[in-house]
Amino acid sequence: MKRTNLLRRGLSVAQILAVLAALGAGTVARGQFGDLLRKAKEKTDKAQKIQKALAPMTVQEERDVGREVAAKLVAHFRPYKDDGLTRYVNLVGATVGAQSERQDIGYHFAVLDSDTINAFSAPGGYIFITRGALQLCEDESELAGVLAHEVGHVAGKHVIHIVEHDKALRAGMDEAKAYTPGSAYLQKMTQGILVKIIDQGLAPGDEFDADQRGIKYTHAAGYPADGLPRFLTKLDQATEQGGQSFWTRTHPPVKDRNQKMQQSISAQHWEDADRPKLANRFAIVAKTLKGKKS
Amino acid sequence: MKRRYRLIALGVLWAVLVAGGPRVLRAQDQSQQQDQQQSDKDQKEKKKKKGGFFSGLKAVTGQSSEQQEDTATAGTKGVGEGAQIGNATPSSADRQAVSAMESYSIPPPDLKKFQEDGRLQPVK
Repeated sequence: MKRTNLLRRGLSVAQILAVLAALGAGTVARGQFGDLLRKAKEKTDKAQKIQKALAPMTVQEERDVGREVAAKLVAHFRPYKDDGLTRYVNLVGATVGAQSERQDIGYHFAVLDSDTINAFSAPGGYIFITRGALQLCEDESELAGVLAHEVGHVAGKHVIHIVEHDKALRAGMDEAKAYTPGSAYLQKMTQGILVKIIDQGLAPGDEFDADQRGIKYTHAAGYPADGLPRFLTKLDQATEQGGQSFWTRTHPPVKDRNQKMQQSISAQHWEDADRPKLANRFAIVAKTLKGKKS
Repeated sequence: MKRRYRLIALGVLWAVLVAGGPRVLRAQDQSQQQDQQQSDKDQKEKKKKKGGFFSGLKAVTGQSSEQQEDTATAGTKGVGEGAQIGNATPSSADRQAVSAMESYSIPPPDLKKFQEDGRLQPVK
């Protein structure tokens, strides 16, 4: 009798111990399963972010970035207020811009009030030329060449490709309101773009590509194809005499650029002496710039 | 007597569940937190090493982009012009100037007359 009680008691204890063991194992298993789920979710999120980071920028994203870069350039240099000159630069710009392979965006042109001899292009088609660069031009075909080179950078998406290939930079792209003007994300991105294009310079290959596109658009627009090489020769001389330009500081040597452009012009049979350089028309509009200093 | 043992056993079960279960979960949470901290630390170190697109900022200014953001208003002495422009804070007037630039359009007949006056013969 005593034995049976003990056995029964023993069985009861064994059953309880089994329940205890099962509960303990369940708790641990639940924790481990949760851990696995968390890790799987983290991996999925990471994969989605990488996928997004590698996706090409949309035209709207490009415009938002370009608009912010343009706003910073305007804030720093100030716009040059001359309605006649602005209209003229837009007419020349529209003439060469129409020859670009890239027509999914519009090209917008403005003059910046700076003595430095520079021209800038921001993603999305925002193109600037400084008063100093206009003063160095001798005719409309040179202005067309400079603007066409900048159109070439936008058409070739040179800046956009740099941004697209930087995963770290694009990692924050899915943040809400990332493209709102003045957002921390845009601030960071545009800072990087401006340092790249002004302080460091684009890759030499991108500059040569913009040159080739530039002479192509200028020629297709009806101007002599050599407007840009002629302008660059004067730029080289001007900077030797103390003129300020980031073009000569960050771009490949003018000699190399002009050599490549002249080779292309010869190869395509684009030497056409009869084409209009339009020095008179340029002089009439640009006379307001004479003696101007900021 | 039998009931007494069962009660004791149930008591032990309850005590183990109350005391042991949360400990196991807490230990797992701590382990997860340590994993997370380690992962954050690794990512920060990776960022420092790589620098990405903005490593250029460091090369030009001797500062990281994070530091630059902190000191954006602390002056631009010794900073490249591009970095200076990047630090500019556009006013609403500047943004309006860009909007005006975007909306500026040349009517097609005016563009055509401009090209004809210049004897330009565009391809398109």
